[in-house]
Amino acid sequence: MELLDRYLEAIKKHLPWKRQDDIVAELRVNLEAQLDDKETELGRELSDAEKEAWLKQIGSPIQVAARYQPQQYLIGPLLFPTYSYILRLVLSWVTVIYLIASVATIAAQGSGVEAFAGLSLVYVALRLPWIWLINAAITTFIFAAVERVGARYPSKVYPLQPVTAPWSPLDLEPVGTGDGDWAKPWSFAKALAEVIFGYVFFAWLLLVPHYPYLMFGPGAWYLASLPYKLAQAWWPFYWWVVVVNGFELAWKTVDFARRGAWQKRKVWRTWAMHTLSLIPLGILLAAPGQALFLPKTAAAHDAALAQANKGLHTALIIALAVVVLQLLWNAGKMGVEAYRKRVAA
Amino acid sequence: MTLTENLFENLRMELRRGCLTLAVLAQLKQEHYGYTLRKALAGRGMEIDESTLYPLLRRLEAQGLLTSEWREEEKRNKRFYRLSSDGVEIFTRLLGEWNAINTAIGNLL
Repeated sequence: MELLDRYLEAIKKHLPWKRQDDIVAELRVNLEAQLDDKETELGRELSDAEKEAWLKQIGSPIQVAARYQPQQYLIGPLLFPTYSYILRLVLSWVTVIYLIASVATIAAQGSGVEAFAGLSLVYVALRLPWIWLINAAITTFIFAAVERVGARYPSKVYPLQPVTAPWSPLDLEPVGTGDGDWAKPWSFAKALAEVIFGYVFFAWLLLVPHYPYLMFGPGAWYLASLPYKLAQAWWPFYWWVVVVNGFELAWKTVDFARRGAWQKRKVWRTWAMHTLSLIPLGILLAAPGQALFLPKTAAAHDAALAQANKGLHTALIIALAVVVLQLLWNAGKMGVEAYRKRVAA
Repeated sequence: MTLTENLFENLRMELRRGCLTLAVLAQLKQEHYGYTLRKALAGRGMEIDESTLYPLLRRLEAQGLLTSEWREEEKRNKRFYRLSSDGVEIFTRLLGEWNAINTAIGNLL
């Protein structure tokens, strides 16, 4: 019996402490009865080797004890869909809030373009995984606690229902209009309208420097009367906008002229335009002294103008961050979609 | 174990899991202690490991489907289990479900 005693003692160490004596007593009587049966059948006592083989067949003490644990998982199948949904919400919002707060902090500290694009940005990016990890851990801890309380006091805790966003079949997106569905056919009317309005917009863009009222309306005369003028950086900015739009328009026109090509939405065109739009933004951010508006005369320092230039510079930094994030987001979505299609194939 | 064997084993375990509860409830219309219950089930073709059966009895008791008492028999203290009144009700309903599934599967095969 010594081997059985040692086996039961080893199991006991891994049992829930409140019930371990009771469980071991029950296990003992069941195993002893089984042993008696075996020995009666054989007409002799089991050898140590036979006893060892028998106990090994029942399972290791840890495995046997584990079956008596009330809960074998952190978050059960009933709660898991809710946990997964909340975790995604938490991580998305934490990312957005963290990035906005980081950009605002960098801007408020008066860092220049170099600082923003350099060490500060790297620091923000490096901290992001830790922010995710901490928030995921907190969310998991809360759900594990809810699961544990529910398992421990099933009669006292109202059974949790899976939480999902409120929805109705009528609110669902029509098939083929999702952001990721670039294969959706483009109608001829839409493609034609895109090209025509593209030319109209391009013409308007070329005329704006000569006729500012096309952009500002009557406000153009008021702006002209102000003691400020545009900095030199606006000209390369303007010409880059012209180049980017001209390039896109030419691309659209070629696509339209090619038989059937207008039917397909161009993911690469959208990508290219999105990326090229970073150049004009970068030009404005690199303006000497961060000054986008200058006094018409070399008057004394104008505090209001300096404040306006600083505010505009901050707004441009935020715009640049938003565009970059949007690019990264779209790249991520495209990567996931491409991977999904490859796996499905 | 090959992938197919592994998959089969997982599916077999899933299939057996619910059946074991039903088998234990059915057998515990009469009082048994752990070992005799295991023998009785094995005698009717339902083999269950010790490490599965004994914790299952505890769980079913905690769920209120079984009652148990320690009693001496053949100079040994043993824990005897039997169906509780809730257990009888649940067992009857589960049996109805089992028969419906059995019929449906029979119709499909």
